Amino acid sequence: MPHAPDTLLDLPSSTTQTVPEGPALEAASREPAFRHSRAQRLADRWAHLVFLACGLLVVALIGGILYFLAARGVGAFIPLAGNTDKVLTLREVFLSTNWDPNAGKFGILPFIAGSLTVTGLALLIAAPTGILASIFIAKIAPNWMKTLMRQVMDLLVGIPSVVYGIFGLMVVLPWVSGKWLSDSPAAGFAVSAAILAVMIVPTIVSLATDAFESLPLSLDEGSQALGSTRWQAIWHVLIPAARARLLTATVLGLGRAIGEAMAIQMVIGNNPQWIALMRQSTDQTPVLRLLFTPAATLTTELVQELPNTAAGSTWNNVLFAMGLLLYLMTMLIILATRRLSQRREA
Amino acid sequence: MPAPLPFRPRRFARLTDQVMRVGLWGLAAAFIAVLLVFVGVILKQGWPVLHLGFLTRMPETLDAGGGIKPEIFNSLYLVALSLAIALPIGLGAGIYMAEYAGQGRALRFLRLCIETLAATPSIVLALFGMIVFVQMMGWSFSIRSGAVTLALLNIPVITRVTEVSLLGVPRELMEASYGLGATKLQTILKVALPYAATGILTGLVLTAGRAFGESAILVFTAGTNTSQVFPDFRLTVPGETLSVHLWYVTSDGTLPDAREIAAGTAAVMIVVLLALNLLVRFLDRAIRRRTR
Amino acid sequence: MLSPQTPITKPVKLSVRDMDFRYGEKKVLDGLSMDIQAERVTAIIGPSGCGKSTFLKCFNRIHEVSSAVKVTGDIKIDGVDIYRGGIDEVDLRRRVGMVFQKPNPFPKSIYENVAFGPRLFGVKDRTTLDGLVESALRKAALWEEVKDRLKESATGMSGGQQQRLCIARALAVNPEVLLMDEPCSALDPIATAKIEELIFELKENLTIVIVTHNMQQAARVSDYTAFFWLGKLIEMDLTERIFTTPRERMTEDYLTGRFG
Repeated sequence: MPHAPDTLLDLPSSTTQTVPEGPALEAASREPAFRHSRAQRLADRWAHLVFLACGLLVVALIGGILYFLAARGVGAFIPLAGNTDKVLTLREVFLSTNWDPNAGKFGILPFIAGSLTVTGLALLIAAPTGILASIFIAKIAPNWMKTLMRQVMDLLVGIPSVVYGIFGLMVVLPWVSGKWLSDSPAAGFAVSAAILAVMIVPTIVSLATDAFESLPLSLDEGSQALGSTRWQAIWHVLIPAARARLLTATVLGLGRAIGEAMAIQMVIGNNPQWIALMRQSTDQTPVLRLLFTPAATLTTELVQELPNTAAGSTWNNVLFAMGLLLYLMTMLIILATRRLSQRREA
Repeated sequence: MPAPLPFRPRRFARLTDQVMRVGLWGLAAAFIAVLLVFVGVILKQGWPVLHLGFLTRMPETLDAGGGIKPEIFNSLYLVALSLAIALPIGLGAGIYMAEYAGQGRALRFLRLCIETLAATPSIVLALFGMIVFVQMMGWSFSIRSGAVTLALLNIPVITRVTEVSLLGVPRELMEASYGLGATKLQTILKVALPYAATGILTGLVLTAGRAFGESAILVFTAGTNTSQVFPDFRLTVPGETLSVHLWYVTSDGTLPDAREIAAGTAAVMIVVLLALNLLVRFLDRAIRRRTR
Repeated sequence: MLSPQTPITKPVKLSVRDMDFRYGEKKVLDGLSMDIQAERVTAIIGPSGCGKSTFLKCFNRIHEVSSAVKVTGDIKIDGVDIYRGGIDEVDLRRRVGMVFQKPNPFPKSIYENVAFGPRLFGVKDRTTLDGLVESALRKAALWEEVKDRLKESATGMSGGQQQRLCIARALAVNPEVLLMDEPCSALDPIATAKIEELIFELKENLTIVIVTHNMQQAARVSDYTAFFWLGKLIEMDLTERIFTTPRERMTEDYLTGRFG
């Protein structure tokens, strides 16, 4: 960057200035002055701060969400100003399966268990199929099929959760109930997990495909040059080499699954007492009972009950505590993926 | 000569290879089938409902025959507003990460925050928006509460896509600009951003699609009602979107034709998203043509 | 130097007749014919882009891993056509091992790298595996250096050690032919010397084809040398003769550095 003397910087045009003398002036008047105006220099200096501020806003948001959710959620356990209702012990909330707000019972264990169950089942379907599909895309499919599969995944990830929900509600539930359950209702973990699996599979496929495609071709060649079949190369060399990134893909799929609300809320049956109900009924095998008992999760219960509660009530505060729990899980998941990628680099 | 090695015939390995190859093609076909069945069924169920009246009538609260005219408007309005809020912030943060943050701890921390925000469940963002905008700011269930909270969903996506697009700008191009004496800001604004524009635009369309389909956030910030005036540009009125409407009519259950309305709304949403997808593919192709 | 004064002609191991190689529309190799003798080292030299690496990869069909290509003409191993003679590529690659330009050990332990091949072929017995690993590492002159750290990751070794590990890995499945695609191009002179020494020992009972752009290396290690130019075989003869009295003007020009 040319550094002109400061006096020249203020020179807007030759007409307003007293006429300088010497050869420097002649050059300046004949050629346009290729200099940055003071405004440009200031803008350059300040731009940095403006962009930084945008970044800091994101940091502030992360903290802000934590602060506000905690401020409300903690109110369930500690008497805060504005609290109108009784406070609870951690034990009553996190270690109890009894959710009956009207009787003052706020055990959220059924929702935690529900979230873990539906997420676990969805991952059980989505992780293997997603990783296999990514192997297909990265290593076996011809180019036209790669493109087609990518588009299929793009579309699947773009479908809104309420549309998944309505599909489950209007198509899957009646079909499952008519075909398999002799017309008893099908709402519960099975259908929720199946729909959730379709929703998270594009995330897993996209990250796992990246993982396989970023492996050097020389690994594939090295294995096949020894006389391995293509599948042996994939199974014995490529999958172990991509392990950390495949795990990251699965963990991020888990993150998406655990936070999904609307689609599951529409098909899971919304029954906070699902654990008790499951224990009582004896007419099916335990597995079937688990799969088809109407249940609830952290997210579905929030959607279901938040609109009906008054701010500051214990009920409301416990719901915010559930939101805080979800947020902390998200942070944990992101930190876990960080650890995984550090291990990969090491 | 060395002794022959104890190598056994490889029938099993070969069979596995063939079986897996066929199996993976089958799996891929199954994915395509799931998508086709899904889109097909949604469109088929919604088709009988999709007549002009459905798109141009106001919704009913108790009787059959309501339309989705204001919901369409609210969806578009909220998406546009949320993008307008998120775009400058996302662009700024993305520019900072790509061009200013360097490679050190600051960048890693910022990226951690962006990733966390991107992974935060929308129901959590909804709770945050409800506390801060609906309750503390006193905006209640309104377009503005919805737009600002929805922007939180968009910011990480726009930031990421800006960063990635800027990092894809050839360094020689930027060096050429510096070589002419341009300031960093000038180089970013006049060289890097125009080059990255198509990529950022693609990301923006994808973000729009995501915001268009979002429901959890809006149920708790923009509300489940809509203004009786049309079109109502006021920021203070509640603004139920298509996705919220779809959810609300099925869960509320007061409408006799809730099922038909839900099916029709779902079909409209699928059509819009297919159109957005085509737009993204078109933009993508434009990018690829240039880099080739 | 290494080539005998009066060569004893060995049986032909690999024979190539009228071979064309097309990559898409482009013809990379054009009408090649040559015989490669068993238990001899054949070097292939030529300027970069002349198709010498591509030629090498035709012998174990490894190019099929990454792209669709079209090979016409005949390539035979022990008289059996490797593209149409009922050998599948998996069998072929067991018999025709390969060492690549850049060392490509798997991200596994040293032991697992060498045991990988035998395991593919169903060897499970620990003592047998141990024996195979040790003998392959000894053949690759690596045993003494690594015998105390077989469980350590192979990616922590030096480049030269990695390349010798890759040779050991290839030897562990007892190949008949070893293809070497510029095996020393990523190595320092000392590591290079070790590999060259190894090549000399290995040809006892192995057919070796080595691609190199280092002419001195070809002169040092090979019995026969073939000179490629723009996808064509210009000349092939005893290494000694190629380097002292080439028949073709083009070969001479290349060897004396007038182009290349």
